[in-house]
Amino acid sequence: MKSGKKVLMYAGIFAVLFIIYYAFGHPFFNGNRLTMFVCVMALSVTILYYIARANGGAKIYLRTIPGLKAFDEAVGRATEMGKSVLYVPGIMDMDQVETVAGVIILGHVAKMTASYETNLNVPVSRSIVMEASREIVKESYMSVGRPDLFNDDMVHYLTDEQFAYAAGVDGIMLREKPAACFYQGKFYAESLILAETGNSIGAIQIAGTASPSQIPFFVTACDYTLIGEEFLTASAYLSQKPALLGSVKGQDMGKFIVMIAIVLIFILNGFHDLGWIDIDFQELLRVQ
Amino acid sequence: MFWKRQVPIAIVFITGILTLFGWFVDSPRFESFVNDDATQWYDIIASFAIILGALNLLKLQFLKIVKQKKDWQYSILAVVGFFFAITAGFFWKGANYIHINNVTANVSTVAPVIAEMEQKTIEQVLPLLEGADTYDVGHIFIIKGSAKKYFDELTASGVNAEMKEKSWGEHLLEEGTVFNWLFKYLFTPMSATMFALLAFFVASASYRAFRIRNFEATLLLLSGIIIMLGRVPLGSSISAWFIAYIIVLSAGMGANIIWKNRMTTFAVVTGGILLVTILGWISGWPVDKPGFLYLPVLQEWIYTVPNIAGARAIMIGIALGMIGTSLRIILGIEKSFMGE
Amino acid sequence: MDKNNFISIVIKLGKVDRRVIFLLIAVVVLLPLLFPIGLPIRATDTTQRSFNAVDALGQGDKLLLSFEYGPSTKPEIHPMAEAVLHHAFSKGMKVYIVCLWPDGQFMAIDALNAIAPQYNAVYGEDYVLLGFRPGGEAVVKGITSNLRKLYTVDYQNTLVESIPMMQGVNSLADFKLIFSFSAGYPGTVEWVQYGSDPTGVPMSTGTASIQVNEIIPYENAGQLRGVIAGMPGAAEYEALIGKKGLGTSGMDAQSIAHLVIVLFIIFGNITYFLERRRSEKKY
Repeated sequence: MKSGKKVLMYAGIFAVLFIIYYAFGHPFFNGNRLTMFVCVMALSVTILYYIARANGGAKIYLRTIPGLKAFDEAVGRATEMGKSVLYVPGIMDMDQVETVAGVIILGHVAKMTASYETNLNVPVSRSIVMEASREIVKESYMSVGRPDLFNDDMVHYLTDEQFAYAAGVDGIMLREKPAACFYQGKFYAESLILAETGNSIGAIQIAGTASPSQIPFFVTACDYTLIGEEFLTASAYLSQKPALLGSVKGQDMGKFIVMIAIVLIFILNGFHDLGWIDIDFQELLRVQ
Repeated sequence: MFWKRQVPIAIVFITGILTLFGWFVDSPRFESFVNDDATQWYDIIASFAIILGALNLLKLQFLKIVKQKKDWQYSILAVVGFFFAITAGFFWKGANYIHINNVTANVSTVAPVIAEMEQKTIEQVLPLLEGADTYDVGHIFIIKGSAKKYFDELTASGVNAEMKEKSWGEHLLEEGTVFNWLFKYLFTPMSATMFALLAFFVASASYRAFRIRNFEATLLLLSGIIIMLGRVPLGSSISAWFIAYIIVLSAGMGANIIWKNRMTTFAVVTGGILLVTILGWISGWPVDKPGFLYLPVLQEWIYTVPNIAGARAIMIGIALGMIGTSLRIILGIEKSFMGE
Repeated sequence: MDKNNFISIVIKLGKVDRRVIFLLIAVVVLLPLLFPIGLPIRATDTTQRSFNAVDALGQGDKLLLSFEYGPSTKPEIHPMAEAVLHHAFSKGMKVYIVCLWPDGQFMAIDALNAIAPQYNAVYGEDYVLLGFRPGGEAVVKGITSNLRKLYTVDYQNTLVESIPMMQGVNSLADFKLIFSFSAGYPGTVEWVQYGSDPTGVPMSTGTASIQVNEIIPYENAGQLRGVIAGMPGAAEYEALIGKKGLGTSGMDAQSIAHLVIVLFIIFGNITYFLERRRSEKKY
């Protein structure tokens, strides 16, 4: 049986078992959160289905994202100019998904800098991020066969405080004048301060964040910006691993399901407001 | 390898599944673990991890000083600042105050001294001393020596006074302590200054980026201008009729670009100006009508309709991206954050 | 001066160093602060809804304020915090303050020291500062389920049981309104997700201008009752309560600065078009 169908089969078995469990009084399950549980399961099954299909050899098409193509160009530019690459993995800690995504992308950038023998500078704002980033950068350098170029001080801690960190990174930019600046992670108000300073030194800047309020600032000030889920799926693009590509496809299908659900519920809610149906979908979808 | 690979993946899987499905479990103990204990474990680990970061910072700065690398003098500042803050927070409270015991018997002696220390009038101090047998003077002295003058004055008059110190923790919040001084006069202005830089950077970024290169860039430019002016009081002072005239002139420019005919351009501009003038004169030139040309109304519409639609779409996409990323991490499909 | 020379000068001005822009911005911000203009302030719908949410409370009603901002965003958010405190004390509400940020505690103390004495508000009877607790959304969840477990003492280490106005206050459901002054994470979003939405306790918020974009969808969906957006929002709120403060004083400067930025943008586009025309003519 194909792997995708296996996932659907297991999901089907689970669904039947859950229905029986729910019908028998669902002990230990908070019934108020059933809608949320169903949504989580549906999205998870969708993503797992496409991961299984991709692992099974199915070809996954993903559109080109200019920002990701520019990674190589940016590191190459820094190498030609004999300058360093600055990588900022955001200002939050590893409990944020964006920081984890930023640190994963750092691994890919570190492979490039190791291959091209370019200096890499990673100032971080949190100690746990420092340790995780160091591990990733070290592994990247080793995987490319250049452990000699790795230095613990490549990844260094500045401060936890938001604007003190921005001041520190700005100082690094103005003193060392890196040719390429990457801002990949969770940012707040300091995003424009970093991006404008990077612009003033003439660096090529590639930003990526899932913070909706900071995206406009990065779009304005940086050469390329990975917006929202483009940033979160960057690791799949850069690694081209089937499982990761499959999960991106699953996410997209999840978005398609959400779009259909929005239209359907809009229509059904309209029917409810007109008194044609009794079910209040707004109440049904309320998170308890 | 087992400890570096399988064990971390197992920990991530168990913790992830527990936290994810814990929300659906109807058990107070379980909910308490997921809602409180798990996040507190993380906070404890992160708090201790700060030591790692601090040691790294100190190491790099010390090396810079010792090897006298470029701009090593600033590293001295960094190290001194670091130790000063640690000292102010953990070692030197600088939160001394005078505690007076027999207030009732010595109100007339004590009141003027307290008034001088707390920078109040005697009339303001007397109600505070009414019925109070003991009193803690509100003024904080960083070193005991600075309180000597007042302390001696009180004890010489037979008042039973003693020097006390605020407890650990209180010394962070109390006005006048070393830490509070550090927060108020160093940290606060420096933070505010860095945030204030945004004002300048927004100006330079807008100047550079808002160009009419294509249709989308033009939309961005126009909505940016409308929101910038509409959000501030100046926008509500700009009449809707002024905007109408600007639209007419822009239409004239557009007509000139399209038809390149002077007569057509003249007709469009003159006709538009006449129409706006007549309508304005009839309606009495109200500042906020027609509403769809009044900047505050326009900016509110842009904020609440297209902006929210776009923001929601991005948020839904981001949420799905986070679900995908989280699932990959929990199931061990994405292992590179561990260094693989 | 002939036309070509004039165009060349304009194009040259268009390539002005960014530091000239910074200097001009500094001047246009400083001058209105020194010589106020007094532009009229009109409340937007979002600020009006926020005001209405607070105004709906009466004498003795319990209002929960949450301070999650620091010195960097103090100029934007502190004026609205003071304005809401004015509003609350003037109506005789009971004000309970918690902080999700450690800096928030300092901000709360500053605001209370400035406003409470004006209404002879008594600590423990009219207002209480419960203080900062670490944990972000875990604190919100804790307050939602069992406030007493999370806050056994207030910020001065006084037992919560001995504070008169804490009688009968056990969880979030005991409050009439939640008001969050937020500059980021944890903040408004966490209060909506883990506090207001699950319990149904109404909520309003004041945020830094930069964050409003993120918060507005919640307001539009009815999960928030109004948003005070940055310093302009603070000025509007001050106008609604009839007490001019720090927010109002900054509005002239912000208005002129915005106008100057708009003029810069227009000038930048003029030079852009002139330059493009000139290079097209060459080819």
